[in-house]
Amino acid sequence: MKNRMKQLIFIAAISFFMTSCHDDLDQNPIDPDSFTEQDVFANAAEAKSALAKLYASLALTGQQGPAGNADIAGIDEGFSQYTRMLFNLNELTTDHAVVGWGDAGLPDLHGLYWSASNDFTGAMYLRLAQEVSFTNAFIQNATALPDEEAQTFIAEARFLRAFAYYNLIDFYANVPLVTEITTDLPSQSSRTELFDFVESELLDIQDLLLDSNEYGRVDKVAAWALLSKLYLNAEVWTGTPRYTDCVTYSENVLNSSYVINTTDANGNGSAYDELFLADNDTNGAQNEFIFTLNFDGIYSQTYGGSTFIVHGATGGSMDPTSLGINGGWGGYRTTKALVEKFETSEIDLPALNSSLGGTLSDWGLVGDLNNWGDPNEDGNPDEDADIEMYEISTNQYALYIELADGFFKFRFNEDWGVNYGDNEADGILEAGGANIEVTAGTYLVTFDLDNLTYELTEVIAEGDKRAMFYTDGQTLEIESIPQFTQGYAVTKFKNIDSNGNQGSDGSGDFVDTDLPIIRLAEIYLNYAEANLRGGGGSIATAVDKINELRMRAYGGPSGNISSGDLTLDFVLDERSRELYWEGQRRTDLIRYNYFTTNGYLWPFKGNQLNGTSVNSFRNIFPIPTNTIATNPNLIQNEGY
Amino acid sequence: MKTVLNALLFCLVMLPATLMAQSTAKGIVTDKANAMPMPGVNVIIKGTSRGTSTDFDGKYSIELSEGEVLVFSYVGYTTQEIVFTGQTSIDVVIEEDASILDEVVLIGYGSTKKEDLTGAVDLLKAEDFNQGPLVSAQQLISGKIAGVSVTSASGAPGDGQNIIIRGNGSLTLSSNPLIVLDGIPLDNGGVGGSRNPLNVINPNDIESMTVLKDASATAIYGSRAANGVIIITSKKGKDTDFRFNLTSSTTVHTAIDRVNVLNANQFRDIVTNHPNADATTIGLLGNSNTNWQDEIYQSAFGQDHSFSALGNAFGVPMRASLSHSDHDGTLIGDNFQRTTASINLSPKLFDDHLKLDISARGNYTENTFANRDAIGNANTFDPTQSIFDASSPYGGYFSWIDTATGAQPNLANTNPVALINLKDDTSEIRRYIVNLKADYKLHFFPDITATVSTGIDESNSNGRTIVSEFMPTSDPIWNGSRSTYSNTSTNKLFDAYLTYKKSLNDIHNITAVAGYSYQSFEFDGYNYDSEAEEIGTDFELIDKSKSVLLSYFGRLNYDYDGKYLLTATLRADASSKLNPDDRWGYFPSLALAWNISNEDFLDSKNINDLKLRVGYGQIGNINGLGDYRFLTRYNGSLSSANYQFGNSFYQTYRPEPLNTDLRWEVGSTLNVGIDYSLFNRRVSGSLNLYQKQTKDLIAFASVDPFTNFGSEIDKNIGDMENRGVEFELNVIPVRTDDWEWSISYNLAINDNEITNLPFDQATGGISGGNGNNVQIQTEGEAPYSFYVFQQVYDTAGKPIEGAFVDRNGDNVINDEDKYIYKDPYADVIMGLNTNLSYKKWDLAIVTRANIGNYAYNDVSAGNSYLNGIVQSTNNYLTNIHSSYLENGFVSQSNENTFLSSHYIEEASFFKIDNITLGYTLDNAIKDVSLRFYGSVQNVATITDYKGLDPEITGGIDSNFYPRPRSFVFGVNVDF
Repeated sequence: MKNRMKQLIFIAAISFFMTSCHDDLDQNPIDPDSFTEQDVFANAAEAKSALAKLYASLALTGQQGPAGNADIAGIDEGFSQYTRMLFNLNELTTDHAVVGWGDAGLPDLHGLYWSASNDFTGAMYLRLAQEVSFTNAFIQNATALPDEEAQTFIAEARFLRAFAYYNLIDFYANVPLVTEITTDLPSQSSRTELFDFVESELLDIQDLLLDSNEYGRVDKVAAWALLSKLYLNAEVWTGTPRYTDCVTYSENVLNSSYVINTTDANGNGSAYDELFLADNDTNGAQNEFIFTLNFDGIYSQTYGGSTFIVHGATGGSMDPTSLGINGGWGGYRTTKALVEKFETSEIDLPALNSSLGGTLSDWGLVGDLNNWGDPNEDGNPDEDADIEMYEISTNQYALYIELADGFFKFRFNEDWGVNYGDNEADGILEAGGANIEVTAGTYLVTFDLDNLTYELTEVIAEGDKRAMFYTDGQTLEIESIPQFTQGYAVTKFKNIDSNGNQGSDGSGDFVDTDLPIIRLAEIYLNYAEANLRGGGGSIATAVDKINELRMRAYGGPSGNISSGDLTLDFVLDERSRELYWEGQRRTDLIRYNYFTTNGYLWPFKGNQLNGTSVNSFRNIFPIPTNTIATNPNLIQNEGY
Repeated sequence: MKTVLNALLFCLVMLPATLMAQSTAKGIVTDKANAMPMPGVNVIIKGTSRGTSTDFDGKYSIELSEGEVLVFSYVGYTTQEIVFTGQTSIDVVIEEDASILDEVVLIGYGSTKKEDLTGAVDLLKAEDFNQGPLVSAQQLISGKIAGVSVTSASGAPGDGQNIIIRGNGSLTLSSNPLIVLDGIPLDNGGVGGSRNPLNVINPNDIESMTVLKDASATAIYGSRAANGVIIITSKKGKDTDFRFNLTSSTTVHTAIDRVNVLNANQFRDIVTNHPNADATTIGLLGNSNTNWQDEIYQSAFGQDHSFSALGNAFGVPMRASLSHSDHDGTLIGDNFQRTTASINLSPKLFDDHLKLDISARGNYTENTFANRDAIGNANTFDPTQSIFDASSPYGGYFSWIDTATGAQPNLANTNPVALINLKDDTSEIRRYIVNLKADYKLHFFPDITATVSTGIDESNSNGRTIVSEFMPTSDPIWNGSRSTYSNTSTNKLFDAYLTYKKSLNDIHNITAVAGYSYQSFEFDGYNYDSEAEEIGTDFELIDKSKSVLLSYFGRLNYDYDGKYLLTATLRADASSKLNPDDRWGYFPSLALAWNISNEDFLDSKNINDLKLRVGYGQIGNINGLGDYRFLTRYNGSLSSANYQFGNSFYQTYRPEPLNTDLRWEVGSTLNVGIDYSLFNRRVSGSLNLYQKQTKDLIAFASVDPFTNFGSEIDKNIGDMENRGVEFELNVIPVRTDDWEWSISYNLAINDNEITNLPFDQATGGISGGNGNNVQIQTEGEAPYSFYVFQQVYDTAGKPIEGAFVDRNGDNVINDEDKYIYKDPYADVIMGLNTNLSYKKWDLAIVTRANIGNYAYNDVSAGNSYLNGIVQSTNNYLTNIHSSYLENGFVSQSNENTFLSSHYIEEASFFKIDNITLGYTLDNAIKDVSLRFYGSVQNVATITDYKGLDPEITGGIDSNFYPRPRSFVFGVNVDF
């Protein structure tokens, strides 16, 4: 009996243990980085972190930074960053950029031969669709929050959702319209339905968004600006032109508190380059930024964003430290089609020399510039003829000349009998003195034979300072895309601030520079284009606004245009000059029907050296093969 | 026992009297079963080397003295001893050793006689194991069992071994079998810093390994057993006097081969004449002749020692063991040291009604990890540079310098010797497994045994990585780094089951088992990073999770007269990883077997065993699946992924992808098999045919991105089928007094095919380009099939650069022109082993062959083109693979070139894994036996594959740590 008791107790104990273990099957996350919906939407302060993700998912790629715990699977994490993909889809596919890297599917983009399983077109779809599902979840959960602040958050989330759909309309035309959390596979909506949704959302939230918001968050001007962009493309996307609406909402933006940055914080003669410096959140540029994506070398790290655009465009003989980074990835350059859009970007030496008003004399320069040394390779030092200087008054000589790194001396009548050099490098000449060292550049060289002094004054190119190209060792023409040295490199984006200091990441890996997604200058151009396309408004305003941009670009009125110059093609070229490498080009070319047609060709368009037209179905990107396989409701875009 | 004692006594008494008198004994040996004469029976005089064997008529004749003892032995039969007292004729009847027939095989939650097995099960005992300096338990069975392939992950000492039973049956879940050590299912995941989860056990402590291959055998273990089960039984205490065993061996590991890259002269020549090389580029060349691979590999030493004692201590059978291994790697700086200790007590109490099995084992492993980055950098580093450069800012190691930053250029490769010497990466792992098993035969109902087994398996690893401030990096403010981690994984087990055993009239035998199992898995990880601390971002990271697996199981064995056998099992598993609605999975199995050899109609003279088996079973699988996939969770960002609003940076919360209807991946296996043993068991083996269909494969697969929070999640997406044939044959062609020769051969043919997959999954990342994948999962093909462009060759058979077949004929070469070309799995895997012994000598040779496996030669593909040498930044040079000299490729910047069928090479091979020669001295000193052996491992490989080693897990050969050839000398002492 005693045994029985023991056994009963034993069995009872085991049964108890077994039942309690059933409850153990309900495990909840114990990781300190894991939160529940209740945690996140407990109050507006917590919800702000969820709102931050809605912005961050366009700027960063995962929760670890720079890589790790990625948002998008199945692609290199750095590739999946929004502005990097925007660059690849909207700039690399055009005359603005080529890339030398052999990443799967990347060369296909400039060659306009991508397939429906292309990683880059696919990842952009995923990124934007994910933004929609993130915003849907946010909107649905935050609605229960009582705070007024939460209502602003929701309006911002709706802006971001509309922005995602704006992109989806542009890239993929026909995608599902999903506005709430659901597990049902969605059906496809037409481009027009999506257009109507974006329009109605933006109209709806223009009064819910703040008049002005903290840096990095959107306000009501952003809604107007996005409407301006939407209406400008309405004819392409829906078949119905909406240029009048474009003008209306562009005017709203023009009349807002946003202003074009005119602060030349680094004092280099133009306030344009400040827009793309490491401190563009504080140097004045921020006043022009209607919607930005923010990066930081320490706290917001990614291999996309501005880190990508600065490193990716650096290579060849470029000095990475001058761009605030520790080295280039040697990938992206531009084609001559972009370079040649900039007026008078080179110094016109003959014109300058003739402006000296003198006559050619027997005094000249001799040195590396005219093959000082042994050009005949006969073992005897000899040289080509001196480069003669202009005598501008008695014993005063001058010359505009482009010099390479090297040495020169002043010489009379191509004879070493009379020559001057500079022993102490003090600007005072000695007969038969030492070679004068010079670094590459274009100079005004003056020579005073009376006082035996000389001066070198570097001549900075007049003209459009938006043309920020690195040309040393680079060829303008491209014969082989993989070679970094073919095609000019672009130095528009830098990781140095207005004082010339490197950004916050001392290692030079990650870049601080924020990337403007919509800035006021674009709306100026939208206004002008819509006006020209019959949307009303004032041509005088359009010309004023464009001249405002060109004044900044030229550092003065020298580039100003008159209303007679303002044609549609001029606006397109001006967009190129003002907005190149900012993710707009493909959309612009499609609006002008230049993207696939032979109306406009550029190097390697259609994978041909001189460019060729491609089938017009490439105006729209394919819906990713995998997404179609996952959702049988979807129909692939025509042609793929 | 008593008779033996009497015999010994008799011997002692008689010995002096008989020493001088030699007589002849003769007789006939017959088999008790059929009264037929037995040829080939060994007849030996005990304690001597004199002996003979019976002739074809079973007759023998031998000279001996009175008092000497005749020993009659024959494999599979009980040995008889007869004292010679001057008999003129000694006829002997020997009978089959019932204990061999009754050989007990462990199956889940119980054991069975080998004869009564109904599933595809292989048993390997200590004497069957591979010999040599085997640091890891998995190596013991490599090449020994049909359908079981064991591949080492690399040539590093103590490194993990990948075991695959019957091919790959899953896409992204783990394909490793469940390993059960003395009833404790081991965590195969291991902890960070651990090279091999099985390092916990010293191979010398293993008594036997049982491999359960088909689902009817594994089903009782439930979901963790989807890829088969390996049951490891450790040596246990015995109720005898104490015996001791000491083994010791010394090993020399040598690195045998090098990747073919340009040598210094070839390199100098190519750079000097390079079309993109200007004076600056050529000026980068050095004057040395450095073979960087020679600088990072070495011949390495290793030693293994172990000591064990077993016997009866204070009435309790016990065994204790200690072992220590210390191996250097062939990659300089690699070291593995392991100390294990174990103790086992198996007391029996209450008239043997209560049997306890208590064991505790622990190991302490110290790893020093060589910096494996050196392997790839040794292939690409400029061979004209010397190792040291007095002017280098990097501790005197030559490094490329970017004059702008004064640091190593951004994408430049790093001096391999600096990589080896300037990084210190070590870890210590402490792991212990304690378990207690109690079998209680109920006093009031002895047909029932109650068993309770509890265990805890805890691993703790502490590691640190210190990179010197002198390490060349592109970071101009680099001042070294230190990161540490600490991981603890704790698994707990509680099993309770009842076994009912009943025999009716010795004809109906029933065994029934019913039980319950609870397992929990906890992980707690902590990481610290000094660099992150310096810049002020998150420097301490915590990672925690817990999951629980709960099960009920039952099994019924029915045996009718030893002829007809039936096994039926049912297992119900519930995992906390699945949502409450789909959490429970029910997995049945049924197996039937017919012992034909026990039927009267069969000729039992030549057919010793013949059994036909049919089994079917289902098993669920979620091995390797992450936790909490069905819950809506938000993930907080680390401080390097925060977002700026105003002047502040905010942590971000991201909703995690979720799958609320994740279900069990279910595999159903049908297995038909024959076990045979013929001609007095001199020929034996088995034949199995199987078909495994896996439904609802779990893979990390695309979801509709508008309705989930991620682009891919773990999801049940498709079906797969594995089919195969396994054949095992063991033959003993020669068995005489002095000679014994046995051969065992095994063959496995396996075919995997994805039978249903709604969309393709790209996989198999390679080094060329960024984000390039060379493999695909697609319907109708083997998993991980290579998916590439079809290379075009010129008439001389040379690949034409960038020329591919336009397979879809649309005049554009893009992704749509790729095609399936081969897969990494061998169609046929064979093992051929032989053991030869002559008197005290023994020789064992283990060989293996894989046929029809292919590998992507990433080492050659990623780095074999002319333009790879010279960089656009003109501040460093990169060496390239010698295949450039054959192919002459100039530029590989088009991604297609990396994805060329040209780099998919056949990697079939024949390997001689091991040759061991031993010599045994039985009574070297009184009661001490000694064995000396010498062994060579990884003796030879015959293959057409151009890379270092054709045996590549997963099929992508990328900077592989080469497997060394090892020479071992060892001694084994029993006393």
